[in-house]
Amino acid sequence: MLTYILRRIVLIIPVLIGLSLLVFAIARLLPGDPIQLAAGPNASPAEIADLAREFGLDKPLPVQYWNYVTGLVTGDWGQSIFTRRAVAEDLKVYLPATLELVFTAMFLAILIGIPAGLTAAVYRNRWPDYMSRVVSLGAISMPRFFLGLLLQIGFAMWLGWLPLGGRFPLTEDPPAFVTGFLTIDSLISGDLRAFGITLQYLALPAFAMCLSPLATITRMMRASTIEILQQDYVLTERALGLSSRLILFKYVLRNAMSATLTVIGLYVGWLLGGTVLVETVFDWPGLGLYATKAIVTQDFMPVIGVTIVIGGIFIISNLIVDLLYGILNPKVRYE
Amino acid sequence: MINLTRRSAIAAGTASLASMVLGGPVDAQSRKILIIASSQDIPNFDPHIATGYSASMLLRNTYDSLVRVEGNPPNPVPHLATSWTVSPDGTEYVFKLDPAAKFHDGSSVTAEAVQYSFNRLLRLNQGNAWMIQGIVDEKSVQPVDAQTVRIKLVKPFVAFLQVLPWVWVVNPKDVEANKGSDNGQTYLRSNLAGSGAFRVRRAEPGNLYELERVANAWKQGGGNLTGAIWKITRETATQRLMLQRGEAHIAVDLTSEDMDAIKDRPNVVSVIEPEYRTFSIKLNTKHGPLADVNLRKAIAYAFNYQSLLDSGGYAKLMTGPLPDGIFGHDPSLQVYRTDLAKAKEYLAKSKYPNGGIKLSIAHVSGLEQQRRWSLVLLDNLKQLNIELDVKPMIWPDMVALTRSPEAMPDFFCVYQTANYGDPDNIAFAAYHSSRNGNWQNPVYANPKVDDLIMRARAETDEEKRKALYGEFQRIVVDDTPDIFGVIEKRKLALRSDVQNFRFTPVASNAIELFPLSLR
Amino acid sequence: MTTLAEKVPASATSSRWENARRGFYRFRNSWLSIAGLLIVLVLFIIAVIGPSIVPYPEHVAGSVSTATRFQPPSALHWFGTNELGQDVFSLVVAGSQISLLAGLAVVAVGALVGTLVGAVAGYFGGWTDEVLMRLADLKLTVPSLILAMAVAAALGPGILNMVIAISISWWPGYARLVRGEVIAKKEEMFVQAARALGAGTGRILRRHILPNILTPVIIKMSLDMGFAILTVASLGFIGIGVKPPTPEWGSLLSIARTYMPDYWWTAVFPGSAIFLAVFGFNLLGDGLRDVFDPKARR
Repeated sequence: MLTYILRRIVLIIPVLIGLSLLVFAIARLLPGDPIQLAAGPNASPAEIADLAREFGLDKPLPVQYWNYVTGLVTGDWGQSIFTRRAVAEDLKVYLPATLELVFTAMFLAILIGIPAGLTAAVYRNRWPDYMSRVVSLGAISMPRFFLGLLLQIGFAMWLGWLPLGGRFPLTEDPPAFVTGFLTIDSLISGDLRAFGITLQYLALPAFAMCLSPLATITRMMRASTIEILQQDYVLTERALGLSSRLILFKYVLRNAMSATLTVIGLYVGWLLGGTVLVETVFDWPGLGLYATKAIVTQDFMPVIGVTIVIGGIFIISNLIVDLLYGILNPKVRYE
Repeated sequence: MINLTRRSAIAAGTASLASMVLGGPVDAQSRKILIIASSQDIPNFDPHIATGYSASMLLRNTYDSLVRVEGNPPNPVPHLATSWTVSPDGTEYVFKLDPAAKFHDGSSVTAEAVQYSFNRLLRLNQGNAWMIQGIVDEKSVQPVDAQTVRIKLVKPFVAFLQVLPWVWVVNPKDVEANKGSDNGQTYLRSNLAGSGAFRVRRAEPGNLYELERVANAWKQGGGNLTGAIWKITRETATQRLMLQRGEAHIAVDLTSEDMDAIKDRPNVVSVIEPEYRTFSIKLNTKHGPLADVNLRKAIAYAFNYQSLLDSGGYAKLMTGPLPDGIFGHDPSLQVYRTDLAKAKEYLAKSKYPNGGIKLSIAHVSGLEQQRRWSLVLLDNLKQLNIELDVKPMIWPDMVALTRSPEAMPDFFCVYQTANYGDPDNIAFAAYHSSRNGNWQNPVYANPKVDDLIMRARAETDEEKRKALYGEFQRIVVDDTPDIFGVIEKRKLALRSDVQNFRFTPVASNAIELFPLSLR
Repeated sequence: MTTLAEKVPASATSSRWENARRGFYRFRNSWLSIAGLLIVLVLFIIAVIGPSIVPYPEHVAGSVSTATRFQPPSALHWFGTNELGQDVFSLVVAGSQISLLAGLAVVAVGALVGTLVGAVAGYFGGWTDEVLMRLADLKLTVPSLILAMAVAAALGPGILNMVIAISISWWPGYARLVRGEVIAKKEEMFVQAARALGAGTGRILRRHILPNILTPVIIKMSLDMGFAILTVASLGFIGIGVKPPTPEWGSLLSIARTYMPDYWWTAVFPGSAIFLAVFGFNLLGDGLRDVFDPKARR
């Protein structure tokens, strides 16, 4: 078991190197001259050359890559050409914001998806099942940005229940920075009121984001529950007179866990990359907005940084999911 | 207090979540924080580099200048300088500084500091340097004593006092201590060395900037604000909704549709005022089909000015190259108005009597008004059998295109804002051939126009100056280097609890915080 | 949705017809799949004939009518008019062509590239396989929307550029699928026989293997269509998409967003169009999957 885990962890290294190489290559092969853009409209050729030198862009590409990768390891992720801020510093602020949103969305999806899938399985081919199927398919078909707009109009404008966007009231100082997750930081500082406010700000964007994983989890729960209900030992137990409620309870827990794991594996990376749409609508100060701004100004370093962070999280979350699978189902452990 | 009202609204609404955790009473706060929603970030704090209205907002509240602008029409009024004298020939200015003026570190704002600031601006030659370029050089600014500074202009410049509000005075000690190898640019990018009534408390690039009142600032009085937040809100619709809900006190980038939507809302005050902000479409007079003046005239006649106005909201049509109301503007100037017969007539005289060409227009992607007007042009050109390729681009890319006539598209959308209320501002930047290769005047060059601009710049006799600008306008209209578009009205909206806001038609979206109060 | 589509048929060739017949029966019996099929059919019909029957074709081409801006829905303008007085109904109908074409192009390019890569990797095996598949795995780790945004922004606006930008992240799924199929088919009798008869590599791939893996690829394509349309609209919504005056749904919605809620019709109709199109394809794809993969639904 231990060797298996170690082997998996070591195998990540070449993948991460490949990721950095790929992202770097794509960023550099695209047209566009960020130095020209950053130097401003009145810059002379000499000033442009100076700026290029400052950012190391005058060196051959392999050297640039080497400098970049060594920087990655030592925590120097480069600088934004426009704001001149260190990318690593920016990521430290924006990543937790986005992760908080993604995790909350995931949590919502699991919270709703598991009972929904169960219900669908129990009432297979009856109306609750059809309902859940239509709703699931509708949920993954709904553009998140459109849904976000509708939610904003409904809950923020008409009903006035929830804030329009943002992450925390502007005029107040957010809880002291510990993890960057406002939910956790507010609890650490023992400020329940701040925790409540944080949840209000999270509610709409998290809901807009949770639909895709929610649909997937519902359908997976349904399929695997049906499978279990038809298995021999369950039939036997049922024949022996155990109530179906007890049987469900007995087997569903493990089931729910593996469905949840699969969805996390599938969706963490996907949601992280896709937050940009929801962040745009809800003005959520996270990775997506940060990346959009950098993309529009063709600012290499932040784009590369965001991509590598998301790719890295994807790889690591998949690893964790695989390992947990191994613990949950001993059969797959030594693939 | 805005905080309370919003919080109680939220608490009332979300009984489910909130009541459990919100329970306790809200702590009494004496803070008066004004929230401004704007779409523009403030990437750089350097007073001699940063431009754009967002940076102007930050700088005018954290730094001071010799004079300020105030009123409508805008007038220079004392600021760091309590008084000044001008020599009869208009080339020498002597300013008396306020002895009370102090930087944030407590040191006095001296004549040396003023000299240091002018020279740093000239040396870096970025930001607002163009305003004094060729007028002030490194030897011009000389301290007479600690509180007196003399500025000798290289040549007379009538609008000198109008540009001074945008030349910020930095604390030389602070900058020298952090000079580095780049004149302190790295330091000043994210640090302040000013004397203004506010300083930065919190900076979250891409999200918000919070300013707080400097406790022992030299300038006392003003409004009751203890701070302000510049909140980056990219969508104008969101800005509007924030304002409606009281989540913001001032929204500075609203569209005409937004203004219509808030018109009758309670607690919201709209400000719709004429300003020197013009939209026009520059034509490539040097390269491509539009080098043909008859084609340019044909297009100027074919253009549907009514559509431009209809889709432009709160705006009025320009009469010629200068904005209405500015000194020297000739309201009786004969300009192009839609006339299809004349358009066809000029088209027949051009090299393309039957049209059949495809032209291109570049506009800033995301600027909704520019997109609309590009489509109006596309529609109108069909009548001349000319096709139009609409290219939305990011602004820096567009600027890059203006460097050479070959790269410049046939049509090029620009907004111009007069940073000072003098015709020279626009005449020089947008029509003088020395500015070719810059976005305000990529290609247009006419020696006669150059001469008129230079003479008008130095002319101190008002009537003669007016006459020079009159001739300038007639020649430019005849050359048709632009499709003269509209003067957009400034559209701001405030909550009614914001007090003492007075509109000034210069950089009015770079809100000056000092006089404002919150009820 | 790609992520949902990974489980693709592994139907045995022998009972293929029997399976198809049963599948069709199942498909016909599922009213949801039929609804999906209907929506998709209507969509295609609208896309083909729509632009020529819309009430205001000139608005689609970019003409404006600034005297009649922001009119609410009426008999004259079913979906109202927008900020330039253009008929929203005409724009939304014409937009179907763009969304469908772009979606199809993305899926087609993705499938083509993916099939090539997968076929080569599966057929040759060894280090070719290793390199290509590691590359595909790597591609899956890169966030596709951000990559598409970056590429589209760098290439500039335009449908073609948008399709290129999105397809870049689209091929790995197909490569994996095709590789698996090729490896399975490679060992089958008829391929072995062809090889024994002296057929070249190209010929074997082209004549014997590719036609046999067409079915799973086409099913995956139909499953992916909805998501492709959604991605196209997403790019448009962020503002990195088509050139004006192209009436693309996502960019229509992005512009109209400013006018919510007062001029709701400018946003609600394009938004609903995106939803309906994607929903239709997802229903259809879901039904198709049932047909070919009976295990997925019982």
